[in-house]
Amino acid sequence: MRRLKPFSYFSPRSVAEAVQILEREGPGALPLAGGTDLLVRQKRGDPPPKALINLKQISGLAEIEKQPGGVRIGALTSISALEHSALIRNDYHVLAQAAGLLGSPSIRNLGTIGGNIGRASPASDVAPALIALKARVIAQGPQGIKEFEVERFFRGPGTTFLLPGEVITHFFVPEPAARMAAVYERLGRRAGMDCALVGVAAALALVPGDSEATEVRVALAAVGPVPMRSKKAEEVLLSGSLTAERLKEAARAAAEECMPISDMRASAGYRKDMVRVLALRTLEAALSLARRNGHEHVD
Amino acid sequence: MSLHYIGKPVLRIDGLDKVTGRAAYTVDINLPGLLHGAVLRSPMAHARIRDIDVSQATHMPGVRAVITGHDVPYTFGGIIKDQPFLAAERIRYAGEPVVAIAAETELQAQNALCCVRVTYEELPAVFDPREALAANAPLLHPKLENYVRNKTYEIIPGTNVCTVRTYSFGDVERGFAEADEIIEDEYYIHAVAHTPMETHAAVAQYFAAKSEFTVWSSTDRPYRMAKEMADAFGVSTNQVRFISMYGGGGFGGKGSLVAEAIAACLARFTKGRPVRVVYSREEEITATQTRHATFFKLKTGVQRDGTFTAWKADIVVDNGAYASWGPDVAARGILTVFGPYRIPNLELLSRLVYTNKQIAGAYRGFGSTQATWACEAHMDVIAAKLGIDPFELRMKNAYVDGDCYINGQMMSRVGLKQTLTSAAQKIGWGQPKPAPNGSKVRGKGIGVTIKPTKTPTASYCFIRVNLDGTVSLLSGAPEIGAGEKTVLAQIAAETIGVPLSVISVPNPDTHYTPYDTAVASSRTTYHMGNAVRMAGLEVRQKILYLAAKALKTDAEKLNLLEGKILDASGSELITLQALLAKALGPMGGSILGEGYYSAEGSPLLASLPGLEGLSSIFWMFATHIAEVEVDVETGVVKVVKVVASHDVGRVINPVSCEQQIEGAVIMGLSNTLFEEFKMEKGRIVNGSLADYKIATIMDLPEIDSMMVESIHEEGPYGAKGVGEPAAAPTAPAIANAIYDAIGVRLNELPITPEKILAALRAKQSNG
Amino acid sequence: MSTSIDFVVNGERQQLQVEPHETLVEVLRERLNLTGTKEGCGVGDCGTCIVLLDGQVVNSCLVLAVDINGREVTTIEGLVGADGLHPLQESFLNKGAFQCGFCTPAMIMSAKGLLDEDPAADEEEIKRALSGVLCRCGSYKKIVEAVKMAREMMRIPQ
Repeated sequence: MRRLKPFSYFSPRSVAEAVQILEREGPGALPLAGGTDLLVRQKRGDPPPKALINLKQISGLAEIEKQPGGVRIGALTSISALEHSALIRNDYHVLAQAAGLLGSPSIRNLGTIGGNIGRASPASDVAPALIALKARVIAQGPQGIKEFEVERFFRGPGTTFLLPGEVITHFFVPEPAARMAAVYERLGRRAGMDCALVGVAAALALVPGDSEATEVRVALAAVGPVPMRSKKAEEVLLSGSLTAERLKEAARAAAEECMPISDMRASAGYRKDMVRVLALRTLEAALSLARRNGHEHVD
Repeated sequence: MSLHYIGKPVLRIDGLDKVTGRAAYTVDINLPGLLHGAVLRSPMAHARIRDIDVSQATHMPGVRAVITGHDVPYTFGGIIKDQPFLAAERIRYAGEPVVAIAAETELQAQNALCCVRVTYEELPAVFDPREALAANAPLLHPKLENYVRNKTYEIIPGTNVCTVRTYSFGDVERGFAEADEIIEDEYYIHAVAHTPMETHAAVAQYFAAKSEFTVWSSTDRPYRMAKEMADAFGVSTNQVRFISMYGGGGFGGKGSLVAEAIAACLARFTKGRPVRVVYSREEEITATQTRHATFFKLKTGVQRDGTFTAWKADIVVDNGAYASWGPDVAARGILTVFGPYRIPNLELLSRLVYTNKQIAGAYRGFGSTQATWACEAHMDVIAAKLGIDPFELRMKNAYVDGDCYINGQMMSRVGLKQTLTSAAQKIGWGQPKPAPNGSKVRGKGIGVTIKPTKTPTASYCFIRVNLDGTVSLLSGAPEIGAGEKTVLAQIAAETIGVPLSVISVPNPDTHYTPYDTAVASSRTTYHMGNAVRMAGLEVRQKILYLAAKALKTDAEKLNLLEGKILDASGSELITLQALLAKALGPMGGSILGEGYYSAEGSPLLASLPGLEGLSSIFWMFATHIAEVEVDVETGVVKVVKVVASHDVGRVINPVSCEQQIEGAVIMGLSNTLFEEFKMEKGRIVNGSLADYKIATIMDLPEIDSMMVESIHEEGPYGAKGVGEPAAAPTAPAIANAIYDAIGVRLNELPITPEKILAALRAKQSNG
Repeated sequence: MSTSIDFVVNGERQQLQVEPHETLVEVLRERLNLTGTKEGCGVGDCGTCIVLLDGQVVNSCLVLAVDINGREVTTIEGLVGADGLHPLQESFLNKGAFQCGFCTPAMIMSAKGLLDEDPAADEEEIKRALSGVLCRCGSYKKIVEAVKMAREMMRIPQ
C-alpha cells in the first residue's frame, strides 16, 4: 500500500506550545488530530507536510463538559464520544445523530470534532448539526483566542478562517430553547460506511401552542462550497403557522437556495431535488419531536 | 447408500487458520532479502512512448532494480499473446505498467517512481466499443494477425474486433414471420471491479544459473500461469514454479498474470533476491481487470400464448485494451443469452471489441452474468407485452430433461423448474402486494440463469496415505475462499473410508501437485472431486488388498470405514494405522493413488457437428426472486429479500453451498446498485473503496438459499457446481422487481437513484 | 527522527524504535510479524486492518506508531487463550462465517469490541458495529449469525 513519506514530527504538551511550533514551522506544518483525513490525503498523494504537529498528547482537549448555558466540547473529542455521550444524546441529540452517521465505528473512534470542522469538507455531517445548534468554535493562536460561529467558520471547500498558527481548542454549544427539536438526515449510496450526498439538519423551537416557530435553523451538507444555512427556508417557516403547505414551501426554498455541484457521486439536479425531499422530512420530524418535547423528555 | 461426509455441514478445514489469523496469504510472505516492487503506470489511455528516462530513479536510495519493457520484451495472454509485461512502445490503456522498480522498502520504491520521466505522444483513443467498430476508429492492435494465438477464436485483422462469433439455428426470419408479437429491445450491463479484499500480489525469485523462477501467488490457476510465464520468458514449464498461498478472494480476477508478471520481471534483475509486489487498492481497482461491459440488441418473436418462435441477438462486448480471457467470454460464455428456454429459431452475432480502457477478463459468471441480465430483463418485457405472469412465462418455456441446448447437446438432470417453483413458493409469488408505506413501494421480480462449465478441462491429483493412517490429498486446486479444500477432503474421506480429520490438503505447488485447469468456471467440486474419487478408490483398493493379505482373507469380504477394517458383519478387525504398521513395517512406505478427470469424450457432450465447443459436462440452473422497496421520492432501492434456489446436482457441503449462494447474491446486488467506474478520458477516477462502493453488512437483505439436487450422472456423488451462477440472476430480479413496484423499466445497469427518478418522471410525463 | 515506544500487544510488553511516519499496521505486520491483521487499502476504507486499541476498534492503517506509546493493542493473535479459542472464533468456525478469510480477523475484532462493551447487542447493533469491515465474499449473513451465537456463549458464565 502507499506509504507515508517522512516528516518532521512534534508532539507538544500544551496548546501554547502547539501554537508556537506551528508559527515557527510556518506553512507546510499541519496539526494532526485523529488522522482520518490528513493521513488519508497524505497516502493519496498530497505533497508531504514539512512537519506534523500531533495534538493528541495535549491533555484537556477531549472533554465534554456541561457548562452554564451550554456544553463545552474539546476539539479532540472523538466522533464516537459525541455519538455515545449521554449529555449530547439527551440535550443535543442532533449532534449525536449526525456523529453516528459518519464513516464507520473505527473511523469514529479516531476522528475528532476539531479535525472534522477544521477539515471544512462541504459534506461534513457534523457541521450542519452544529450550525443547527448555533454552535461556536474557539481557536487559539499567536494573536490569542478567537471565537467564530460555526456557520461563519468556513471560507471555502476545505478552508476555514483560521490563520496560520491557530488551532481549534474547543466548541461551545448553547443550550437549546426549551421547545426546540433538531433532526439530521442524509442520503448516501449504500447503508453503511458512507458519506453524505446530501444532508439536512432542521431545528425548530415552537411557541406555546405549537402552531408557530420562534426559532428555525435549516443547515445543509454537500450542496454548497461550505456547509450552509438556508435562510430562505427559515424565513418561510417564521412567516406564519406551521402548516403542511408551509413546510413544503420551506423545503422548496431550501432546494432553490442550495448550490450543489455535479461530481462523480451525484448530479447537481439530483442533489437539489433531494434537499427538497430531506428538508421536508427533517422539518416534519423536528416539528413532531418539538411538539412531543413540550410534554416529555426525549432519550 | 448411507453417506458419512457427503451432504454434511462439516466445518471447513481451513477454518482454524482463518479465525486465528494464521492463514498466510501472498501479501503475508516475508523472505530473507525481500525487496519491494512498485509500478509506474501510464496516465494516458492511448499513446506512443517516445522516451523513458530512468537514470535518476536508478540512483535513488534503496533502489536495486529499475526495468522497462525493453528489459522484458515479452508478450503473454491466455488466448491471444497481445499483452506486454511492460509497455515499451505503446500504451493502450490508462494504468498500463511502463516501469517497475524494486527497492529495499516499499516507500523507497514508491519514491523512486517519482523520478522516472516518460515522454508520451498522445494518440486518439476510443472508449466506446460501438465507436471502436467504426471504420475510421483508432486501431489498438494494427498487427492483430501476427500475435501467437489460439486459432479456434476468430479475429478480424485490421479492425478492433478481437473475436467474432456467429451462430444460427433454424430460420429466424421465418420464425419472426410466424410470431404474433415481435419484441425488440436493447440492454446494457456495465463493467465492474472484482474488488477482492486481498489486492493482487505476488512474490517472485529468480535463480539465474538455471533460469528458474519461483512465484508465490494467490492465483486460481497456478499451472496455466506457470505455463504462460514459461512461454513468455522462453523457458520450460518446470523452470517456473508456482506456490499457492491462501487466496484472499479472486472471483475470476486472479486467473491472469497480473502482479506475478511484474514480480517475475523484477526478480530477473535483483541478483537472486526475492521481490514482493503488492498492488495498492487504487491499482487493484484501476489497473487489474474488470468484468466485460456488454451491449445487447435482442429481438424475439412470440406467440400470444408465450411460445417462442425466434430469438436474435446482436452483442458487442467491450474488451478493454488486451484480450485476456475475453475471446472465450464472447465466443462461448455469452451464448447463454437465449436463456434456458425452448426456442426453435436462433441467430447470434457476438463481437469482442478492443477499447482503450482497462482489460476486461474473467469475472464470476464469465459472460453468463451479462447474458442473464439481458435475457431475463427481456423476458419480463415479453411477459408484460403478452400480459402473462413472468413466472408462468418462464415455467412454460423452461428446459426440462430431454430438451437440447442451442448446440444440440441434450440436457439431462435439469433442476430448473424445481428452482423456479421452490423460489416462487418461498417468497410467496403471486400474493397481493402490501400497500405503499409512505413513499416506499414494494415489488417482486424473477431472474433465472443457466450456466455451463468450460468443457473439456482437466483435473489431476495424488492421494498419499501416510504410515500413521493420515492422508495427504495433493490437489492442484488452490483454496481461493470457496471451501475447495474441505469439499475435496469430504469426497476423499467418503471414498476411501477414513475420518475427515485425518485428511490434510496442502496448498498446491506446481513442483509437487499435479495439473489442474483452474479453480474457475464452477468446476472444482465436479472435476477435481472426480479426480479425488478416482484416486481415493485406488488407495482404498490397495488398502483392502493389504488387509486381505494381512488377515488372510479376500478383499471383497472386507470394508474400510472411518479408518477401520471391518468384516462383512461390520466388526472391526484392525485399524488402518495398525494395518499399515504391519504391512509396511519398519522400512516404511506410502500408499499412493492417482486420479484424473476430464469430460473429454463423454457421450453427454454429443452435439450438432462443429458445435461441440458449446457443450458443457454439467449445466447449472438457478432462480432468484427479489423483493425490493423503492422510495419514489429519493429513488433509493432497498433489496428487502432475495430467495435464491440453485440446482447444484448434489450438495457436498450445505454450508459451503450457502456461502457461495449468499456471497454471490450480495455481490450481484452490489454490482447492480452501488458499483460503477467513473471515467475521465479512459481513466478510472474513483479508484478507492470510498468512491467505488461495494455492499457493507448493513446492505444485507434477507437471503433464503435453497439447493435442488438433480443428481448428475457423472459428478462425484452427483454434484455439479455452484460458484458462479448466483452472481447472475440477482440483477434482473432486482430490475424486474422495480418494474413490479413502480412500473419503470431500467435496461441499463447500474441501477441508480437518479435513473429511477428520471424514469419515474418520464413515465409521468408520458401519461 | 526515531522515537522509542513502549506498549503492550496481546498482553506482551514491547519496546520499539519507530519513525513518526510508521503506522501501527506496518509495525504489527512488518516489525512484530503479526500478519493476522491485514492491510486491504491503507486509507481506512475497508476495515481489514482493524485492531483493538485500549479496547476500541481502530483502523490501524491510520494510527501512527508514535501514538500507541503506553497503550494496549489487541490483535486476532491475542484471542486464543489458555482455554482455547475465543467464543467468537468458535462461532465463526461453527457457522462458516468466512470464505476467503481475509476480512475475518477484522470482523472478529470488531465483534469483540462490540460484545465487550455491549454484551446484549441486537442484530441492528451488530450490523452497525461491523459496518466498517468490507467482505467481498459476502459472508455477512453468517457473520451476523456467528456474532449472535458468540453473544449467547459469552453470556453464560464460564
